[in-house]
Amino acid sequence: MTMEKHDTTHMSAEQPISAAANQVAEGATSQMLEPARPGAPDPEPEQELEVPRDPKATLRRLWSVSTGEHWRFAVVLVCIVCYTVSHIAAPAYSAHVIDLLWGNIQEAFARGESFSIGWDTGGRELLIFVGIWTLAWAFYTIQNFTMASFAERLNLKLRRLIAEKLNRLPLKFYDAHKPGDVMSRATNDLDKVSEVLQRGLLSMLIAVGSVIGAAIMMVRLNLVLALVFFVFAAISVVMTRLVAKKTLVLAAEQQRAVGILTGHVEEAYSGRIVIKAFNQEQASSHRIHEATQRLADTMRKTDFVTNVVAPMVRCLVRFAQVVLALLGCGFLMQGQLTVGTLQAFFQYVNTAAEPLTQFSLTMNQLQSALAAVERVFGILDEPEIDPDPAEPAQVVRPVRGRIAFEHVRFGYDPDRPLMKDVSFVAEPGQKVAIVGATGAGKTTLINLLMRFYEIDGGRITLDGVDTHAMTRADLRRNFGMVLQDAWLREGTIAENIAYGCPDATKEEIVQAAKTAQVDFFVRTMPHGYETELANDAENISQGQRQLLTIARVLLANPAILILDEATSSVDTRTEKAIVTAMERLTQGRTSFVIAHRLSTIVDSDLILVMDHGTIIEQGTHEQLLAAGGVYADLYNSQFA
Amino acid sequence: MRTLLRFLKPYRLQTAIVLGSLAVNLAGVLLVPTILANMINIGISTGNFDYIVTQGMFMLVAAFVSGAGAFACNYFCADLSTKVGRDIRNAVYDASLAFSGGDFEQFGTGSMITRTLGDVNVIQQAITMTIQMMLPVPFAAVIGIVLACSIDMQMGIMLACFVGVVAIIAVASVGKAAKIFQKLQQFIDRMNVRLRESITGVRVIRAFGKEEMERQSLDEAFSSYATNAIRVNWIFATFDCSSFFIMNIAEVATIWLGGNRVGAHAMEIASISACVEYAMLILFFIMMAQISALMLPRALVCLERCRRVIDHEPSIADGPADQLAISDGGAAAQNAEAPVVAHFGNASFRFADADEDTLHHINFMCRRGTTTAIIGPTGSGKSTIAKMLLRFHDVTDGSVRLCGVDVRDLTQEALRDHISYVPQKAWLFSGTIADNLRYGAPDATDEELWHALDVAQSGFVRELPDGLESRVAQGGTNFSGGQRQRLSIARALVKKADLYIFDDSFSALDFKTDAALRHALAQEVSHAAVLIIAQRINTILNADQIVVLKDGCIQGLGTHEELMRTCEAYREIARSQLRADELEALMDDAAEPDDAVEVSEKPVVDAKGGE
Repeated sequence: MTMEKHDTTHMSAEQPISAAANQVAEGATSQMLEPARPGAPDPEPEQELEVPRDPKATLRRLWSVSTGEHWRFAVVLVCIVCYTVSHIAAPAYSAHVIDLLWGNIQEAFARGESFSIGWDTGGRELLIFVGIWTLAWAFYTIQNFTMASFAERLNLKLRRLIAEKLNRLPLKFYDAHKPGDVMSRATNDLDKVSEVLQRGLLSMLIAVGSVIGAAIMMVRLNLVLALVFFVFAAISVVMTRLVAKKTLVLAAEQQRAVGILTGHVEEAYSGRIVIKAFNQEQASSHRIHEATQRLADTMRKTDFVTNVVAPMVRCLVRFAQVVLALLGCGFLMQGQLTVGTLQAFFQYVNTAAEPLTQFSLTMNQLQSALAAVERVFGILDEPEIDPDPAEPAQVVRPVRGRIAFEHVRFGYDPDRPLMKDVSFVAEPGQKVAIVGATGAGKTTLINLLMRFYEIDGGRITLDGVDTHAMTRADLRRNFGMVLQDAWLREGTIAENIAYGCPDATKEEIVQAAKTAQVDFFVRTMPHGYETELANDAENISQGQRQLLTIARVLLANPAILILDEATSSVDTRTEKAIVTAMERLTQGRTSFVIAHRLSTIVDSDLILVMDHGTIIEQGTHEQLLAAGGVYADLYNSQFA
Repeated sequence: MRTLLRFLKPYRLQTAIVLGSLAVNLAGVLLVPTILANMINIGISTGNFDYIVTQGMFMLVAAFVSGAGAFACNYFCADLSTKVGRDIRNAVYDASLAFSGGDFEQFGTGSMITRTLGDVNVIQQAITMTIQMMLPVPFAAVIGIVLACSIDMQMGIMLACFVGVVAIIAVASVGKAAKIFQKLQQFIDRMNVRLRESITGVRVIRAFGKEEMERQSLDEAFSSYATNAIRVNWIFATFDCSSFFIMNIAEVATIWLGGNRVGAHAMEIASISACVEYAMLILFFIMMAQISALMLPRALVCLERCRRVIDHEPSIADGPADQLAISDGGAAAQNAEAPVVAHFGNASFRFADADEDTLHHINFMCRRGTTTAIIGPTGSGKSTIAKMLLRFHDVTDGSVRLCGVDVRDLTQEALRDHISYVPQKAWLFSGTIADNLRYGAPDATDEELWHALDVAQSGFVRELPDGLESRVAQGGTNFSGGQRQRLSIARALVKKADLYIFDDSFSALDFKTDAALRHALAQEVSHAAVLIIAQRINTILNADQIVVLKDGCIQGLGTHEELMRTCEAYREIARSQLRADELEALMDDAAEPDDAVEVSEKPVVDAKGGE
């Protein structure tokens, strides 16, 4: 064993499982995924391919992304070459030093004296030896520090690209991907990349240099011994390659076992009340134990196989050393070798052998890092929303708020249209109630209004202007949304209320909060309007969150509103507050209300009854009751 | 640490083998250069080839034994760490099963999942690391220094000095790096929070046109992470490079001292290389240990987190009786058929960390064959009542009785055998619909399942291609909220019980389904008592008895009509949920109960809501 200072095997600082755990609290977002698919198979997380599909293209692309950092690479390469040369030179020189010392010692012994090192009897050479090592150290240090920021800078660049991309991805992407997936691309995957670039790639390059250099020196020192070593080296390379392949398979197997256990555990903890209420503790414990047993079994195999490579190669190298020692001593006695060269040869054996123990694993790591990069590029390559028109149409200000659907056709999957031919008009200031069972497509309508999704045919107009001809920002500026999934940003309450107009004064913010009936509540918080809201820490209730989103919309003062009425998760008093706040909000504005309450439905100027993603009836309450259709049924069933 | 020992205890044998084989391995590793030095020394002095061959054989044996040791160590290390990991996971999970609602909430679901999975992973990796990377250090150091001393005392002392210095540097640097590593974790969390926000809030962000601002704030999180990660890398590079330098110095110093010692007849020339080799090996092991030691503080934190769960004393313990009968000596039959199924006798409840009672002196009973409803605003303690019946919480004063027996005198299993429960959050388990429905009654026939589904208005199951065998995803996420709720109602109906509790189970249903379901339900569970917890007044209009709960106190108790006349709190709820005309109609019902249904079906259309 020698100066190989780079350990690559066990340096994974990532936490693969905790990311999965984070995904549990995400029930709310899946509501957006509209048509529920009863009986559809489990949305099994797709098995991550750990082998890159097109390594060359990915590498090329990675290279072009890292423009501006290329000089670092050049410096590193130069340093590695210099380092390898001095690193390889050192044992050769040490051979020379030892031989020199041995010569001097033998001379002294011949004179019957004892020997000690002076300046002329080895001291100078020892100092030069120090010099060579210091040189190697210097180059090593330079490349180490140069590389220290390379990977993270590259990552930062990729992460920035992702951040930009997030703004250009269609809603379809968000509805189809779990937040956790996208997050793990941007964090775990890229961390893996930097880990590998930082350590793996560097030690790989150094290893290649060392092996080549050591091989050359061995051949120069003694061809026969070198050939013996090469035979053993070849055997170990083949063996590690085989083991490494096996490792990949086992790693995938382990990943599956982890997935199964994660699923079971998440499920059991989330449903623990049910488990206890139905006296199923034993069964559940049994199920978990089975899963942990399976995981332990695969992990034992994976751990063993992964860790056995190094000892295996070292063992082989030691067998080689035995052969080499016997041969070497033979040569030594015949005078074909000096003590120094024989020992130098053994140092080269170690220099060349140690990288062999790591080579295959490093290759695996590089591969999986490339696969991770590919996944990141995969996100960057997702289709984007159509760019806004170059010369966007403008709506005459002030906006009146007339919305018209004209023969709108739409389907989440263009081959399976949901809305085939929908037309309706909401006049300025009118209140439109949207009614329908869960999953009937109420969210779809909002998606289309806000242009979160683009329609497949017909057109939607705002004050007579085709919304498709406007920029999205211009269009959306006219809408305010209060959804049940009351999303608030991390930040203070004041910042959240002023989200739509950051220039709002404190007075305006308080006024909006008062109108939204949330002022009192805010004042009871420890820091009032400066209270920090955390997204996961539930420091405010769902109802209050919704009131805050109402205040947020009030302050933005849009011409058209989209409201989702509160349902059961809110207590009566808060619900009352929400109703009052919403009534104030809707005054004088065109509003679309996802209705759960009779009063909303009955009062509205237009009722849209939805089912299976399309509008099946529309009209006023009286008209619909008179028609005796689905709406009348729904309405009358209330007190059955 | 004690926790770890507790989990290692069953595996004393494996632990011993690991340690033994590790020692054998390292002895072999260090003997190889020693024997090599011998061979060379003999080779150049006497030229006795036979002796060299014998030494070669020794070397072969040493290499072989060392290899075998490495394999054994490796295998048993993997065996040990995975088994300990499995045992900790099982222990954490089994401990959680005994937890009451309060115990569990103390930890939280997310945290419990991390403790069972991620934390144990870290512990397991740390065990492997310790065995593979850290334990070799003391073994190698001792064996190496002893071998060096046997060659020459002075060489041995010098080697010991170098090892000491490097070990001190390593310990100091690990201490520093560990702190920075923890700080880095905060920046990672920050990135995750920002990313999650901009993904889950995409609709709002776009509605407000704030894309650019969110991008900037993401950028900021990414940049500060990068800056700090680079700083960590620099610190690593510094450690790395200084160790490199010390190793160089050690080699030169060994040659220098070795030369002098050979010159003084104290040792032989080839042994210099052996000493160099010892030094390199030991320093190499220290460096590996240094890197892996960074993981230990985190692993200790994880271990402690697991220990907290495992050692947590469940706040609810089983009572002595495993049958309803035993407690007051009454006949079993009598108890099982008792007319009063559930009885709250002056029951009060306070959460462990609260200053005030959540429930104050609750008194009411549920009779067999009748429906009791509880209504009140969120936070009034409705669900807590259900949880006390199921003993997810225990009364702090007064008593809760099931069929005349105090629930605390029963085992939890016996108690829950008599209750069927539909939780607020409809949760299904992965498997098939049939698996889920049979959850409380494994022997139920398909007909019984279909019947329960029909009662629960789950006709949609018939439309599924696989019917009862349709797959249910984890949590039931492949069904809509309403469907999940109906399935979980059906699951509760399949189980035969004396008391059925519906905890706000109708909220995700549309009006029509809600009505039909309640209608069907009434006939289905006539043999038992029913307790319905609700927010919507429509859901409970027809209950035999309504409990109005507010701030943990019973404000009123009676039928809908009685309460409309006498209970202000109830009228307030009614007013907030119904329009004036509906309300009027209902007030009329109070006078003429028989017409209730008919009147309410003909609301006066043109009356504007008058709240």
